[in-house]
Amino acid sequence: MKPTHDPETCRALVERLSEYLDEELPPDLCARIESHLDDCPPCRAFLESLRNTVRWLDTLPSETMPEELRRELSRRLRKLPHAD
Amino acid sequence: MPAPSEEAALLERIRRDEPGAFEEFVGRWQDRIYAFGLRMCGEREDALDVLQETLLAAYRSLKTLENPEALKAWVFRVAANACLMKRRKGKYEPEGELSLEELVPREAEALGPPIPDPGALPEEDVARRRLQETVRRAILELPPQYRIVLALRDLEELSTRETVEILGLEPSAVKMRLHRARLMLRKKLQDALRPATGQRP
Repeated sequence: MKPTHDPETCRALVERLSEYLDEELPPDLCARIESHLDDCPPCRAFLESLRNTVRWLDTLPSETMPEELRRELSRRLRKLPHAD
Repeated sequence: MPAPSEEAALLERIRRDEPGAFEEFVGRWQDRIYAFGLRMCGEREDALDVLQETLLAAYRSLKTLENPEALKAWVFRVAANACLMKRRKGKYEPEGELSLEELVPREAEALGPPIPDPGALPEEDVARRRLQETVRRAILELPPQYRIVLALRDLEELSTRETVEILGLEPSAVKMRLHRARLMLRKKLQDALRPATGQRP
């Protein structure tokens, strides 16, 4: 039985954590990762920090186009030749 | 976003040169393409150029687009290329890439400070705003080939398959770049969260 915190195992797991978060891994690999996470607090902490990093991306305010740029775009588009 | 059937109807109207059809296309897409360009380029003027180039390409080519299902991928492919062509060195352009060694701690004690769940911080919280600004800047500091994958997957919420189609990469390359981009952001967030006295030189 491998030690709970074998650096090579942890490193291999960390490489797949985005796929794990995105539910893109096959079930058997997912189960192996979950089993390791149960026994390895540092990997759990790493996963949590990665999960929260992705959550921060969701919080960014939406960028709306300023009115002067809308007007500028309309001006540029008006220069397009009209279709026949 | 409009349903695929609405996109198909609009594309058909554009093909028939119906008055107002292209303008409707512009109205549907301009905010999303602008926001994407701004996240990728960091400057409003560059985002406007990206939007203009995308709309010009659409004006020239949409009539020949056979498959309405492919519209979203087509739009983002053009916009992504326009972003990547803006090669001039911006103020956020990174000087070098971080190695994986720097991104993944070797030892448990080097894990770094925990990153808070943003859901646990009130909307108006100062720390929340500061970390949002850190994230915004950190995205712009990513090498472009990583930034584009992160922007498509995590900001535009496109699937791996759609991103593969847009960038012409293998799925394994999309997944690797996304993971590495997230690891870079994680590190930047941790650097911002480290107490000033504990910062490494």
